[in-house]
Order: sequence, then structure tokens, then C-alpha cells
Amino acid sequence: MMAAPTAALLEVRKVSRFFGGVKANLDVSFEVHAGLVLGLIGPNGAGKTTLFNCIAGFFPPSSGEIRFDGKRVDGLSPDRICKLGMARTWQKVRPLAKLTVLDNAVVGALCRTGSVKVARDLAHEQLRVVGLDKSASQLAGGLSIGDRKKLELARVLATQPRLLLLDEVMGGLNARESEELIDLILALKQRGLTQVVIEHDMKAIVRTSDRIVVLSSGEKLAEGAPAEVVNDPLVIAAYLGQSEGAKA
Amino acid sequence: MSTRWALALSVAAVALLASLPVWLESPYALHIFILIFIAVATGSSWNVIGGFAGQYSVGHAAYYGVGAYGAFILLQQKQLAPWFGVWIAVALSVAIALIIGSITFRLRGPYFVLASIAVAEIVRLTALNWKGLTNGAEGILANDLPALKLGSTLITDWNGKTPYYYMGLLMAVFCVLVNLAIKHSKLGYYLQAIREDQDAAHSLGIPLAFYKNAALAISAALTALAGSFAALYIGFIEPQGVFGIDVSIQLVLICIIGGVGTVLGPVVGAVVLVLLSEALRANLLAHGLFKLGLPETSGIGRFLGENLAHAHVLIYGLLVIVVILFMPDGILGFASARLRRRRAR
Repeated sequence: MMAAPTAALLEVRKVSRFFGGVKANLDVSFEVHAGLVLGLIGPNGAGKTTLFNCIAGFFPPSSGEIRFDGKRVDGLSPDRICKLGMARTWQKVRPLAKLTVLDNAVVGALCRTGSVKVARDLAHEQLRVVGLDKSASQLAGGLSIGDRKKLELARVLATQPRLLLLDEVMGGLNARESEELIDLILALKQRGLTQVVIEHDMKAIVRTSDRIVVLSSGEKLAEGAPAEVVNDPLVIAAYLGQSEGAKA
Repeated sequence: MSTRWALALSVAAVALLASLPVWLESPYALHIFILIFIAVATGSSWNVIGGFAGQYSVGHAAYYGVGAYGAFILLQQKQLAPWFGVWIAVALSVAIALIIGSITFRLRGPYFVLASIAVAEIVRLTALNWKGLTNGAEGILANDLPALKLGSTLITDWNGKTPYYYMGLLMAVFCVLVNLAIKHSKLGYYLQAIREDQDAAHSLGIPLAFYKNAALAISAALTALAGSFAALYIGFIEPQGVFGIDVSIQLVLICIIGGVGTVLGPVVGAVVLVLLSEALRANLLAHGLFKLGLPETSGIGRFLGENLAHAHVLIYGLLVIVVILFMPDGILGFASARLRRRRAR
């Protein structure tokens, strides 16, 4: 066993991030336990993606600590973090447009091997997992938005992560496609893959998450089991956009 | 199936080219082929960083010139035969590439392009003003090349064009093979990922700076190799001729015209551009019009006969614009898209 079920795979401790004078995150702390799915929700501009960018290494936090598997990772570059086993998808999908669907996944798989042949087998396997194997030889730039999101997933899965950071994989999808992705997230969880999921769709987040962290204006507003969080008056107020006065 | 065909065709083409000097005696024709080989080699060199990695360096004249001057100066001042001197020049140009890369790869897109031009200009001005080493703007005329021997067997004493022809062919084939090998390796996948989306590539575990520098180093080494060969073939170098921005642009054009980021694109681009520029220089256009019945002595005939050759750079430029406008993926991209469409029908 890699880790006891209670050990935190990802620890975010008092992480703040400022852009000039603008506060994007302030003193955010939470833990993600191995094998579980953590939902990260909050209204637009709450600082969810900024937090992801800090965790995945796209910029360092202004202050605070991030630990992955007990090891400090804040300030490391994105490629190092991916190598350590933490992989992220992009809210605005970033397909390698002029490469085929298969080659997109091959690029991910090459993270763990120097052999293109081995990487190709791994890539095929991940395309099957997300249900894109039929489009393997198509150019990634020609995919529909739903398939692009799946490709994004296949590509990060090919890097063989221990922790997956999913940034709104269901954004812009129709009901059937969302349903497929929810099933996929649950299937990956079944296989023991730890995940942090940013999502706008409350129903999706409640169905997939074991625990939910709510961000609002860059700060952690609430944390708890899904049923508690969605009934929390503070959270409802933040989502419905009530004034500060009404909240207090 | 199709790759096997491509392989067979390529081998046949190279074999045909290798047999050419045996039955083709025209030195002018051999000269054109040598120019094409140089263009194939330089275009393929640029393709590694510009085509696969998508980093549009417009400063490759720096590596081309360092190769040329390196081999020349070592030959003139240290009496070092070029087939040894070249490797020193190549190493020097890789070192320069890594310095340039570590500075310019912090920049993306148009900023990288501008920085690459600036650095090449610095190298050109250095060559122009370091008169003790480079003889400044007067340039250097090459000594006769020493005979190439393997043990005691004479391989060539560099008489005529044939030895240069085979050297050039060898170099061009080598550069294309390097491209082919890169395309099918981890390096090739990573470079293409960087070209398509740097942030996505970074998040998939690709150390951007390392792979960009690796690509630039390979590209610079090949460019220096081609530059030194070209200089030795022509027998004379001066700063503007090898360090000038037109050299840098020529490399980019070969790839854009042929097809950026493809193995055979630079080959197609090289053939088209060399033939085009030679045809325009020889004023084949005016002669063609005369053959078609335009009276040579008429006012317009005389005007074209006298002036069209002088306008060859202008016409060259216009044709390049036409190709870029109507075939944004280059001739190879255009042709394969056509072929795909016909097959789909």
C-alpha cells in the first residue's frame, strides 16, 4: 500500500495569491485524502482556477505551503509537479490541434517512458477509458467540445497521475455528455484515483464528491460533506449573490 | 503501406541522385544541384526548431555564419582541414545556440522572433568589426582545399564539381534523416506539443526550456555544418553574405514554402526556391515569352529582355507572397490536402 487511507495526499496550508494589489486567494487551507474526490466550488471569480494554477505550479503562491504526498511542491515548475504525479486539465481546453487524438495522448504517456511504442499502447488504453478510441487517428483540432474534454482527460490520465486536478471538465457539455463524465470520474475513483474537481454544476459535484470546499472571493467559506455544504446558508447566500450585510 | 512506398521512393531518388554525376556532365546543372542540397540541408536544419518546435528563429544566420567562418579561419590560419575544422565550428555554434537559447527562450511568439533577429545582428556586427580574425567587410578568399585521404588512398582532391556534389548530397540526406528520426522520437512529440500549446505541454510534464534548447542545439549544429560546406564550395565569405538577415529569412522561406514541420517540406521548398531564383536570374521568363512569339526587337520585348532579370528579386518576392496566401501549409500541405480530398470523393 502506498498510503494509509487517512493520510492526506494533498495538503494546502494557508495559501494566498495576490496579483499586484488584487487578492485572488487568501489563507486557503484544505486536505485531500488518498482515494477520495474533493469538490471545489464557488461563484465566478472565487479563485478556484487560481488555486489550481498554484497547486499545479503555473505560478507560486504568494504565501503558504502546498504538500503532495508529504513533500513541499509549492514553487516547483508544472513539469516537475506532473512528474511527481499530480496532473491537471484546463477549463478552456487546450488540444494539441494539429496532432491526432492518439498523438495527444502519446505526449501525455511519454511522461513515464522514453519509448514511443510503449507510450502508444498506453495512449490507446486511456483513449478506450474515456471512449475516444474510435477517433484516434482524427486531428484533435476537429473534435467537438465534448470530445475535446474527454481528450483532455485521456491525455492527463496517460501521464499516470496519483492525483487528478479537473478544472470544469463538464463546462459547456450537454446533459448526456455530462452524465458520461460523471460516470467516468466515479469509475476513476473506483480505481483509487484521488481527484480534486472544480465544477459549477451543483448536482454533478454532489454526486461525485466525498467532500466539498467552497471558495468565495478568494477565501474558504465552508467545507464539509456534500449534504451539509449545499444546505449551508452562507453557501447559498454566496451563490445567490446576497450582499455582505445580509450574509452576516 | 504508404510509408513503405515513401521509403522505396526516397531510396530510389537518392540512388538516382547519386548516379547523376556519372552521366550528367554539365557543370552548371551540378552547380544547381549543389545549391539545392545546401538549401535542403539548411531548410531541414531550421525545421527542427522552427517547424517541429514552432519557435520561429529569424536569426539562424548566426549559426550558418559561425560554421562558415569557423571552417574558413581554421583552414586559413591554422591549416586545419575543413573535415576536422567543421566539427570545431559546429561545437562553437552549439555553444552560441545554448547561450542564445537561454536568453531568448524566456520570450514567446513575436518577442522570441525579434530577439533572435537582434542576436544574429550582434554576431554579424562582431564579425564585421573583429577585423583581426575575420578580415572585416573585405571577407576571406579560401585557400585550395587539401586533398581528402583515408589512410593513403586518395578520396578526392576537390577538382571540379563532382566531389562537392557528393558531399552536398550526403549532407542533405543526413539532415533529412535527422528530421525523420526526430519526428518519430519522444523529442519530436515533445517539440510538436510545445509548438501547439506551451502551457498544455508544460502541464503534461515537458520541461520547456530543456527541449527547446535541445532542438535549437541540433538545429544550430546542422546549420553550421551546412554553412561551412556552402562557404567552402563558394570559396569566399564576407559578413553580409553569411551573417546577413537574408540568410536567416531564406531558411525560414524554404520551410514555409515547402511545408513547415514536415520531413519532406524543406526538400520541396528547397527545390522550388532554388530553381525559381535561378530561372529568374537567367531571365527564363523573358526568353520564354520570346519563344512564345513575342518579338525580341519590339519595344516591350527589349524592355523585358533588359529589365526582367534585374527584377528577379521582386518577382521572387511576389511569388513567395502568392504561395503563402494560397498555400498556408506550404506546397506539401496543399498537395496532401488536395490528395485527401480526391480520395474522399
